[in-house]
Amino acid sequence: MAGKLDVKQGTLALMVLKTLEGLGPLHGYGIARRIEETSKNRLTLNYGTLYPALLKLEQERFITAEWRQSENNRRAKFYSLTAAGRKQLAREAREWHQTADLIAAFLAPRRGETS
Amino acid sequence: MRQLRAALARIAGVFIGQRSDGDLRDELQSHVDMATAENMRRGMHPDEARRQAMLASGGLTAAAESVRDQRGLPWIESVAADLSYALRTLRRSRAFTAVVVITLALGIGANTAIFSVVRGVLLKPLPHRDGDRLVYLRQSVDGPGGENILFSVPEIHDFREGAKSLGGIAEYSPWTITLEGKEGASRITVGLVTGNFFDVMGLSPVLGRLTRPSDDGPGVAPVMVLTHEFWMRHFGGDPGIVGRQVKLDPGVVTVIGVLQPAPTFPDRMDALANMVLSKHHLSAQMVQGRTHRMTEMVARLAPGATVEQARAEVAAVYARLQHDYKDSYDPGSHYRVAIIPFKEALGERARLTLWLLMAAAAFVLIISAANVANLTLMRGLRREHELVTRAALGAGVARLRRLLLVENLLLTLMGAALGVVIAIGGVRLLVSLATRYSARAGEISLDGPVLAFTLGLSVTLALLLSFLATLPKEGAFASWMAAAGRRMTGGLKRQRLQRGLVVAQIAVSVVLLAGAGLLTRTMMRLSEVNTGLKTDEVLTLPVQLLSFGNGDFARIMSGDAAAKEGYDRMAAEVRALPGVLAVGVGSAMPLRGADVGLEVKAEGRAVAAGEATPRADLRTADPEYFRAAGIPLVNGRAFATTDGRDAGRVVIINQTLANKLFPHEDPIGKRVAWTGDVLRFSPWSGDWRTIVGVVGDTRDGGLDAEPPPAMYMPFAQELALGGGLVIRADSNVSALISAATRIVRRLAPTVPLGKVMTVAQLKDQSVAPRRLNAALISLFGGLAVIIAAVGIAGVLAFSVSARTNEIGVRMSLGADRGRVQRMILREGGVLLALGILAGVVGAFFGAAVIRGLLFGVAPHDPVTFAAVAVFMAAIGIAACWIPAVRAARVDPAIAMRST
Repeated sequence: MAGKLDVKQGTLALMVLKTLEGLGPLHGYGIARRIEETSKNRLTLNYGTLYPALLKLEQERFITAEWRQSENNRRAKFYSLTAAGRKQLAREAREWHQTADLIAAFLAPRRGETS
Repeated sequence: MRQLRAALARIAGVFIGQRSDGDLRDELQSHVDMATAENMRRGMHPDEARRQAMLASGGLTAAAESVRDQRGLPWIESVAADLSYALRTLRRSRAFTAVVVITLALGIGANTAIFSVVRGVLLKPLPHRDGDRLVYLRQSVDGPGGENILFSVPEIHDFREGAKSLGGIAEYSPWTITLEGKEGASRITVGLVTGNFFDVMGLSPVLGRLTRPSDDGPGVAPVMVLTHEFWMRHFGGDPGIVGRQVKLDPGVVTVIGVLQPAPTFPDRMDALANMVLSKHHLSAQMVQGRTHRMTEMVARLAPGATVEQARAEVAAVYARLQHDYKDSYDPGSHYRVAIIPFKEALGERARLTLWLLMAAAAFVLIISAANVANLTLMRGLRREHELVTRAALGAGVARLRRLLLVENLLLTLMGAALGVVIAIGGVRLLVSLATRYSARAGEISLDGPVLAFTLGLSVTLALLLSFLATLPKEGAFASWMAAAGRRMTGGLKRQRLQRGLVVAQIAVSVVLLAGAGLLTRTMMRLSEVNTGLKTDEVLTLPVQLLSFGNGDFARIMSGDAAAKEGYDRMAAEVRALPGVLAVGVGSAMPLRGADVGLEVKAEGRAVAAGEATPRADLRTADPEYFRAAGIPLVNGRAFATTDGRDAGRVVIINQTLANKLFPHEDPIGKRVAWTGDVLRFSPWSGDWRTIVGVVGDTRDGGLDAEPPPAMYMPFAQELALGGGLVIRADSNVSALISAATRIVRRLAPTVPLGKVMTVAQLKDQSVAPRRLNAALISLFGGLAVIIAAVGIAGVLAFSVSARTNEIGVRMSLGADRGRVQRMILREGGVLLALGILAGVVGAFFGAAVIRGLLFGVAPHDPVTFAAVAVFMAAIGIAACWIPAVRAARVDPAIAMRST
């Protein structure tokens, strides 16, 4: 299991929103697969993590859900991004970039420092 | 916004959880199906594909559970689950629940009721604006009736000038006068006040206006402010009362307003009027007489001043007064002034009784809580299996603790609910008790703060009970589980706790019983007190044909002859009633205080330096008075008809006064006289009077007070002020009440009648408050003993049932029934002995505190203590007997097999 990472708190929502933005309406399985693929299988999602996160986003009205036929004729619950979700994604992505920059700057070896 | 939306969705989730469960299952199922299909596409065998899909899911049930947590409010749902579980458990053990709830209800109910009284009478802020800045000043001297001798106008003037820390001084002079109305006359107490009174007291009107400085002095219209209570009682809360003229015996007065509800002190007052109502209060005697003490004083502390500063300043002023006016403060009487915060003064007489009751109620609660704790501990032990199982199934310690807490909260809250019902009944009883002790009894109610107190009490109890049960540390379940299978008596720690609780219960019961015993003995001693009258078949009927009026002596004198005639007629008619043996007339009724007390002197006998000036109650009596009242003549003769208006001045003194004035001498034939400054302002002369008789003492100041010295003058020789009839019958004097009252009403229809009372009722007036005290504490004591008995029996019974196996072994090894029984009795006996010992020690210290409530019995009365110890021991042994007998009946064969 070496190399596998846990999903950091709060980042899963961002991944879900980004996935839905890129691929359009998608069911839970599809979202999970997409996230795992994007992470080059460094992340695994079990249902206990994914579905509560989906429900939370739904409660916050960032995504909506409806039952539909899937591409291979299965009934599945499809999630799609709402307008509010789109805004939220933009906001969170921006914040995340800022945080990432900040952390990167912090962790970069400083000049004049010897160890 | 976002949180709000989510929160709403979650709250909704709590209620619509059922519907979306299927939806969730479908969704998870479709997820697994898709994963399986994917796996199969990769070439897996269908079974393996499904297995892998399930594995990756991390468990469907767990996933569903976490989704559910997100969906609703998990803690509410689990608390709801705990609640319904607790309800089910409690419903299953009905007996346990009933015992616990009733025990707690008694404890909580008693505390709630008494706390509401303590709060209303002692703790609640006064209704006066900044009421905590008000102080009450009291001047006292040694001797009976000297606790509160009031102040004179010059004294108040000197305090006002000299003590600047008193920002304002409100004076009021209580005055009982007659109010004439359509339904007949009634006696009311009016406080004569200065114009600044209401401003200093910080009180506002609910109707009309209050008096102000422009109402001071002579030549203004007499005006009156009604107290709220009197307005409601006498005028039915009539909103049109302002501007109405009412007729008092000094004259007609205009009602100008109604005061907000507020306690009056020290006496109940019905109305407050300006000084102009009483000629006397504006006279030179009143305004200049330094010893003419008729005025109460309440002061408001100046901004920034403390009570201590006020005390120091007043003490300095008072020391100067005593130095400057030696005649007005004889050193033997120990004149002193106390400054007491007004709120404390109002609660003064109630304080000790109320705190005693509060402590007793708290004790009962402690005992009930200890019992409940014991029951819970025992039940907890029986439930250990269940708790272990729950722990093994994944309930954390916190969760188990919460389960216990919910259960205990349920118990204590049920107890509190029932307790409040008990308290509602109790408060009514207690208000009647409090009315005797405090002017603030009207402020007692089961209001928000009291109920908050009750709620707090219940929650605290529940918390304590929940943390008594031992739960394992997280991660120590295994050993706990292993042990629980076998342990039946609980750990040593728990046993000690149980036994400690029983010992505490017994100790506290003994303390309560000792208090109850002392108070009961007090009450008994009090009712055994010799009143000074030879019989109880005496009726006293005060009826005032001649009153002080507005202090106009000429008017009083002119009414005297008519009044005397009136009394003669009344006495004659009452004497003709069947069963009447004698009817006497006098100024004050026996066993009731006299209105007037004056200084006396004996001829040829100077008061030694440092000795208090002798004082005596002033009373008048006609020739039949002593016989009618049953007051024994100790020496000399009673008054005779020959002691008429023009005959020589004679007096009869009581035993106490005789001993004081003429120790070791025969007082008959000696001469005495009224004396002192005040005499000048009174209608009585300071002439020498010859003593013709000595009568026995009567307890005029209440059964628990020493009989005051008294001097009787012939009714015919003095003004007929403040008179009444004393009626003696051969039997059942109370049957005469209505007939005698009718006669008086007919002969004097406009004259207010005082309270008609038999001697038995008068006696009861002294005894009744003590009886209520004793009854309440005895009730608590009885309750405590019952609960403690149940406690000790319960603990022993539990110990027996846990040791059945051991007892079986002992018996099969040859122990006979007697030996087993003794073993259990010894177990209980040790607890009992320890408890009683601790209780007696506790009572020994506790009794000193209630010294002030006792009469005729020492706080450490050995008889009471011994009786209490024996009683507790008897009850305790009886309680131990039942489990001991049960232990002896154990059948060894069955006992050993049942393991």
